[in-house]
Amino acid sequence: MGSSGSHAEDRPPATPQTPQPLGLAGILPPKTEEKGDGKGATEKVDWLNLPCPVPFEEIQREALMSLKPELFEGLRFDFTKALNQRFALSHSVFMGSMEVPSQTSDVIKVPSAHYEFGANFLDPKLMLVGRVLTDGRLNARVKCDLTDNLTLKINAQLTNEPHFSQGMFNFDYKGKDYRTQFQIGNNAFYGANYIQSVSPHLSLGSEIFWLGHQRKSGIGFAARYNTDKMVATAQVASTGVLALSYVQKVSEKVSLASDFMYNHMTRDVTSSFGYDYILRQCRLRGKLDSNGVVAAFLEERLNMGVNMILSAEIDHAKKDYKFGFGMTVGE
Amino acid sequence: MASKVSFKGKGKAAAKGADERSAAKCMKEWSTWAMKKAKVITHYGFIPLIIVIGMNSEPKPQLYQLLSPV
Repeated sequence: MGSSGSHAEDRPPATPQTPQPLGLAGILPPKTEEKGDGKGATEKVDWLNLPCPVPFEEIQREALMSLKPELFEGLRFDFTKALNQRFALSHSVFMGSMEVPSQTSDVIKVPSAHYEFGANFLDPKLMLVGRVLTDGRLNARVKCDLTDNLTLKINAQLTNEPHFSQGMFNFDYKGKDYRTQFQIGNNAFYGANYIQSVSPHLSLGSEIFWLGHQRKSGIGFAARYNTDKMVATAQVASTGVLALSYVQKVSEKVSLASDFMYNHMTRDVTSSFGYDYILRQCRLRGKLDSNGVVAAFLEERLNMGVNMILSAEIDHAKKDYKFGFGMTVGE
Repeated sequence: MASKVSFKGKGKAAAKGADERSAAKCMKEWSTWAMKKAKVITHYGFIPLIIVIGMNSEPKPQLYQLLSPV
């Protein structure tokens, strides 16, 4: 009896313990916490913390990227040489036909060739892009971050002919869940626009502009609804234009886009449907239009920094066939 | 006498109005002249400005890299 009693004292006291998890389970957080934040419950909307909307002029950016590639006719060769991480020079040669806008429905093409020299300076705070052509035209773009939220953008096309130059100053202010922009252009053009997030997926915006020399003014409204998989936008303006677009991201590599435009003044209705395949070595965009235009644009990566471009546009209604090829060397 | 004074007064007012109009015209002429000069300076100087800013940024590129195709 005595011996068993002493053994009992020698044994360490058995304290009630939860069994320690072994191995990986000990490192990962316990499962009960994960279930609480899981996807089963609908997420509560934090109305005071809405995301910042896209800038007003980029409201249709996905649709424009898919449906309006830079189609061209002829030969195009671009060479970009980076001297620095921020500074690059570019040389570009184009030989082909450029379309001249005509009043009749005929297509007037003018054969032209030009060489364009450009310089880019890209800094996080300051971006300067300049391009000059052989006929003396200068395209200049400046983007400067004056403060964290205020950005100044200048866009100018200067020509040697008098009265053909254009310039535009934009002041952008980015707020917590809104953006606003004020524009001043030549020919006494003044414009302002404002866009606001009203829900995590929906943002609404409006713009007004005033043309001094022609005493014209206009107002427009826009709405954009986007989720991870789709973007739908609608824009209506007092110039009589209504534009709707819808882009669906079918998978990581494929997007489909469609677009509808109605011009009340000219009673013009255009609708187009397009696809955008972003694959590892190439990017293929194609579109079909209600005006009878079928177009495709292929950018194929041949090697590191060497891209081949093929462009085709077939206008069955006007019997106008445009095919172009080119190469882009450098980033 | 009174008519003479009033005539002089009108003349002064007319002269003042002409002065203001010519001052506004002067401002407009000068601003147009300034815009024209600014346009010419931008046209010729924008690309050289980018090149100068780029050649002075870090890491400094060499001068021959401007012309060589490599």
